Amino acid sequence: MHIVVDLNRCQGYAQCAFLAPGVFTMHGEESLLYTPVVPEEQRERVRRAVAACPVQAILVGEEAGTGAR
Amino acid sequence: MAADTLFQRITDYANRADPYPLYAELRENGVARQDDGSYLVGTYHEIAALLHDPRISSDRRQRTVPDGAAGTDEGVPPSFIGLDDPEHHRLRGMAMRSFGPPHTPDRIDGMHEDITRIVRDLLAGLADKERIDVVDDFAYPLPVTVICRLLGVPAEDEPRFREWSDAIVAGFDPTPDEDPAERQRAGTEARKTMALYLGDLAERRRGHPSGDMLSAFVNDAGPEGQLTPLETMATGVLLLIAGHETTVNLITNGMLTLLRHPDALARLRREPELMPLAVEELLRFEPPVQMLPQRTPLADIEVAGRTIPKGSPLILMLAAGNRDPQRFADADRFDPAREDNQHLGFGSGVHSCFGAPLARLETQIALHELIRHLDTPRLIEDPPEYRRSPVLRGPRHLLIGRG
Repeated sequence: MHIVVDLNRCQGYAQCAFLAPGVFTMHGEESLLYTPVVPEEQRERVRRAVAACPVQAILVGEEAGTGAR
Repeated sequence: MAADTLFQRITDYANRADPYPLYAELRENGVARQDDGSYLVGTYHEIAALLHDPRISSDRRQRTVPDGAAGTDEGVPPSFIGLDDPEHHRLRGMAMRSFGPPHTPDRIDGMHEDITRIVRDLLAGLADKERIDVVDDFAYPLPVTVICRLLGVPAEDEPRFREWSDAIVAGFDPTPDEDPAERQRAGTEARKTMALYLGDLAERRRGHPSGDMLSAFVNDAGPEGQLTPLETMATGVLLLIAGHETTVNLITNGMLTLLRHPDALARLRREPELMPLAVEELLRFEPPVQMLPQRTPLADIEVAGRTIPKGSPLILMLAAGNRDPQRFADADRFDPAREDNQHLGFGSGVHSCFGAPLARLETQIALHELIRHLDTPRLIEDPPEYRRSPVLRGPRHLLIGRG
């Protein structure tokens, strides 16, 4: 599972950082860091984070593999 | 019927089970002025814009019409839900310090196992019951137990603060046809009592932190300093009420909706990974907070071609915006896998729901476990009996049989 966050769309609601803190981290109130290649054990959390984003800024590819690498 | 009676009809208890036709009527009227001088807005794009408009205040004291629910100057100050920036931002940020990122990023994720255990214990206690009341047996005790642990409130005090909470919620019920003065007085009194109770709990933890949020409020200072005792009380009341009165409706409305849509229920059993999307759809389709009744314009503003004068009560009907066909395809259809779903269930903008991640997690786990626990659940009463409030709308009881 690979993810991309559209940082132009992100408004800092931080739902992802609550629900998958191992993948999404807030630095200060507005800047977001994330791990683009999601480890297996974080997938369920990332699914919660993707669904919860109020501006739908998190894009998921189950195997965005070849292109993203 | 005339659009200027819409609010009266929406708040009429007779329409509690199905307010959605009235919301459709509201959307068709654009902005609806009521004969008491308040304004209703029910279309998605207008509500979303107003939630991001700095000219719209959340502070009831900005109203030019008398407003009993604003309370008096004595007593407990408003909590951040009823304040504007910069004061709102300061207090919300200080409360957030012990709740979520960036300072406490693992708090909610760390409650996952706890929530699952509470849910399973509740379900184990129901194993030999033929009939279940989803509210009293499940959807109410879960969020109450969780918010008590989170804040550091003894769960055995629940009967006391349930009574206060009922009075506070009744106090801000905006139903116009009843005489609101007595309800508002009782609500203010209950809020004061709850505030003193929480203030006392917090003070006893000063110097003796026990890992909960009340402890953090009195022991942990951020760059903005610490909450004062009065701010601790006001914030504690807000979080206890919010944790107490909203998630119960999300879980109950959720189970009711799934029982009314057996295909969706069957699909969630087959594809449990859809649950996060299904909960977002529930927040759109049957939101636990139906409206935001406490906004006020700080200047004359134009909305959909009409002017709403400064100081007028402005009521944003979130549940109507969530069914707006201008925004959502097939808006009246419950689709547990809906992708494009920027609903207004948690509001939007700076006041968007503080507890949203917790409500999401609790509801996802609760519904997942509940539908696994019940083989062939069926509704015994449809529509069920509803609670009074038109704002925090949900069933008072939801009786289901095991099949």
